Amino acid sequence: MSPGSSRSAPTLGSLEPGTHLCAFHQDQGQLTRIAATFIGQGLAAGDRLLYVTTDEQAEAVLQALPAHVLPRDALAAGQLVVSSFADAYGPRPLDDLGTAADGFRSAAEESRKQGFPGLRVAAQMEALAPLFGSAEDVIRWERMATGCKREIGVSSVCLYDADSLDDELAALLVDEHAGVAPEVDETPLASFLAVHEPWGLRILGEVDISNRDILHRTLLSRAAVQPQMHLDLEGLRFADVGTIARLRAVAASLPDGGWLTLHHVSAAIQRLLSISGLGHERLRLEP
Amino acid sequence: MTLPATHISTFYNGAQQYAAEVGGFLREGLECGHRGLVMAPTQRVDQLRAALGRDADDVTFVEDSIAYAPQWNVYRVLQDFAATSPHVRSRVVAEQVLTRRTPAELVDYRRLEAAINVVFAEADVDLLCPYDAGSLAPHLLEIGVHTHGVVRADGGLTPNGRFDDPFDMLAGLATVVPPPAHAMTIDCSSPADVADARRLVHARGAEVGIASSVVDDMALAVTEVLTNALLHGEPPVFLHVYEDGATWVCHVMDTGRGLLDPFVGLLPPSEPSDHGYGLWLARQLCAAVDVGTNRSGTHVRLHTRTPARRA
Repeated sequence: MSPGSSRSAPTLGSLEPGTHLCAFHQDQGQLTRIAATFIGQGLAAGDRLLYVTTDEQAEAVLQALPAHVLPRDALAAGQLVVSSFADAYGPRPLDDLGTAADGFRSAAEESRKQGFPGLRVAAQMEALAPLFGSAEDVIRWERMATGCKREIGVSSVCLYDADSLDDELAALLVDEHAGVAPEVDETPLASFLAVHEPWGLRILGEVDISNRDILHRTLLSRAAVQPQMHLDLEGLRFADVGTIARLRAVAASLPDGGWLTLHHVSAAIQRLLSISGLGHERLRLEP
Repeated sequence: MTLPATHISTFYNGAQQYAAEVGGFLREGLECGHRGLVMAPTQRVDQLRAALGRDADDVTFVEDSIAYAPQWNVYRVLQDFAATSPHVRSRVVAEQVLTRRTPAELVDYRRLEAAINVVFAEADVDLLCPYDAGSLAPHLLEIGVHTHGVVRADGGLTPNGRFDDPFDMLAGLATVVPPPAHAMTIDCSSPADVADARRLVHARGAEVGIASSVVDDMALAVTEVLTNALLHGEPPVFLHVYEDGATWVCHVMDTGRGLLDPFVGLLPPSEPSDHGYGLWLARQLCAAVDVGTNRSGTHVRLHTRTPARRA
């Protein structure tokens, strides 16, 4: 898809890695809603979220994030990371686009090493504005970011203050992005949340054909870092047999010494495991 | 070399004849070193234990309320029993109380009796199905008359001249029943719609007065059959929900696919797999499952009993 070819609101839950979005806010409230929607959907899908913003705005978004992504736990587990613009991109990113691109690459690599299937970045662009000499600088930056993020598979949203842009520049910016990030949050069917201690994942909600591939890739990313995993199912309200089959497949693929322990397994899931015969020596059940 | 399986009916009248015929069948097997499995109502189990005396200790007994809950579980019990001792032939007795079955369940029972001739054709098993000729209505006895290749009477075996070809019988039992006009219907053509289908099943199931654990099973069965339709069928995919006599029906249809093999999903996948559980699981979760294909598409009707008929 060429930049700017689509204007329909993207589906954040199943966002194609490397999608470069933008958004324009009229006030702090709208900024908070857009950022919380992008971050909440990304966390629910198991990805790491880097929010490039001020401490004050970070706190506002933490308050606005939906309960089903357990925002404070996400911070503690390193799934949600807040950073200043200077820390994220370096002090003079426009002078050296190569360094900025290296920054994206190392952030993506680091999130893989930490057991996340993907990295998504929400960046407030105000801090960048003083560095822009001209509209060309902004466009040059965004074009580099689009190419680089697509190449390394990092999705992002560039959050612009609408008041600081004229209409022409706003239109140019829209053309440099794959779409405009939505402001309205829809509760995903399930959240797949990283847990650092004990190492593993927590599932809240329901898993079926619509989202079990997201669970699968998230588990594989966790397993790649540490193959002894705990899966907290206390908040799992439904799972189909295809989901159980994927849990078994992940457990069966673990190296020697690896295991996947299920915690808080409901009677319904135990019954499904027993009827389907999808047990495995590396798939363990804890009450 | 393993002899082919035999599927035998016997029509008894009274406890004495039952004990002699069925007890004799088991005793003959035990004398040849065969294993014995009985799936039967409590009263029949007691009569067999009395008839066999000490030999009853060599026979495995499973009450019909467990073996036939639901009916297709019988295949699983039979398969698991045969698998525990693969090189020893088994003698198996299979009987349940047919008078308590709803019409939809009896249609499925007829399928079960027909398909077993094919599904277990290579199994090292002699399977005897006793029918209570003294008390069962003609339409129930008739099921046994047409589905067994051999009849046992007075200790002797004779070929059954009224045995119908199982493939023909199953084809005849795959007629599509269209959803009624009063059905509640939702479009489930997208994976995201499957969760909405579960909401509808839960809401309507509660209104109809079905126990929540039974509704949970139905919601899982509907999920599995819809998943099959989304993966293997053609959109649009619909879920129709309605009451049909003694059962409450969740009816999944898609507009694609050719004729469905009537033997799909009668047994679980032989090896753990990512797929292949859908219809089999539905048969483990519902009271009866109708599968049919016509020009309108593929129809799977999942039945559970409405409260008035629940035991």
